Amino acid sequence: MELKTLALDLGTFRVLQDGFMVQEYAAGWYLDPQTGQRVFYDPNTQKFYTMAGGVYIPLGYMNPAPKQVTLAIGDKLRITMSFRYSGPAISSAVCYYSIGVYGTFGFDEKMVGQNSKSIPQYTTPTEVTDSYSFTIPSSVGTNWDDIYCKIYGGSPGLSQTLFGYENALVIVGTQPNITEFKIADFAKV
Amino acid sequence: MALDIVLAPLALAPKTFSVGDKVRVTVSFKYVVGVNTTVKLFAGPYYTNIFGRHMVTPCVGQADVSLTAASTPTSQVASVDFILIPKANGGIDNGTYGLRVWIEGTSAVAEQDSVLIVTGNPSGGGDILTGMMPMLMMLMMMGMVMPLVTEGMVEGEQ
Repeated sequence: MELKTLALDLGTFRVLQDGFMVQEYAAGWYLDPQTGQRVFYDPNTQKFYTMAGGVYIPLGYMNPAPKQVTLAIGDKLRITMSFRYSGPAISSAVCYYSIGVYGTFGFDEKMVGQNSKSIPQYTTPTEVTDSYSFTIPSSVGTNWDDIYCKIYGGSPGLSQTLFGYENALVIVGTQPNITEFKIADFAKV
Repeated sequence: MALDIVLAPLALAPKTFSVGDKVRVTVSFKYVVGVNTTVKLFAGPYYTNIFGRHMVTPCVGQADVSLTAASTPTSQVASVDFILIPKANGGIDNGTYGLRVWIEGTSAVAEQDSVLIVTGNPSGGGDILTGMMPMLMMLMMMGMVMPLVTEGMVEGEQ
């Protein structure tokens, strides 16, 4: 049995409380420095949107995985989330983790786990981490290759923040997982 | 500074085959699997029309491929044969076809358009007659109609 880890950075966020809400962006269009995509920021929902077919769509929380972790049945996967936090002390926020299948209709959660997290008061953005370990079951599907995590709730309440990776896992199950499939040659025999 | 770049073809070159030929397709891939297992590898020609792509089913071949358990991506090469059954036996017509290879029960599929050029189906006398039939029919109809037209013109002059 082997323990493998994946780390997800949730960025910076604050509690959902009027006295501590600080608006980082003015409403308007911005250019995503990573993708070059034009995105719109709405300070009311505190979300970025992209425009497709005349409709504003919230930016996806799923991202291409920076690395792939190969897992066999019985292996343990530790997912670590990190974020920078400034604000009052929070008790019992929920750090939520899931392994599943991300598709057109959203994230199909196959395994979930959560921790209750208390965060002390910070006056400057400070990195906070949390981890959860999954044990890969014998019923694992080879398409369980996506992960996501989120943090929400607690007192005072945190707004929900999500982050995930697509194709982060290579599952060594009972069904073969095949990649780089190509025709090498064909000839008359 | 000179750049030493080797250009390799990205696509398969078309090849010509006669009906009755056996074609061997070799594929390469990487896999991981928790237990020893056997998968079915299929290959065959396909054609495309306005309704999409269609396999020439009678010509599809299959082979069993054994995969030993591997927890890290492992390279594998496998082959599958298929026979270009003549059209007279319900098989493939002369023409240009694509080649598709896949592994059953997985997302492994590879294909390329217009790489199989199939020849050798006989074009018998019956086929020639069928092709000329519309022209013969038209000539026969003209042969029947023209005497009536010319007869009418002669009566009109009188």
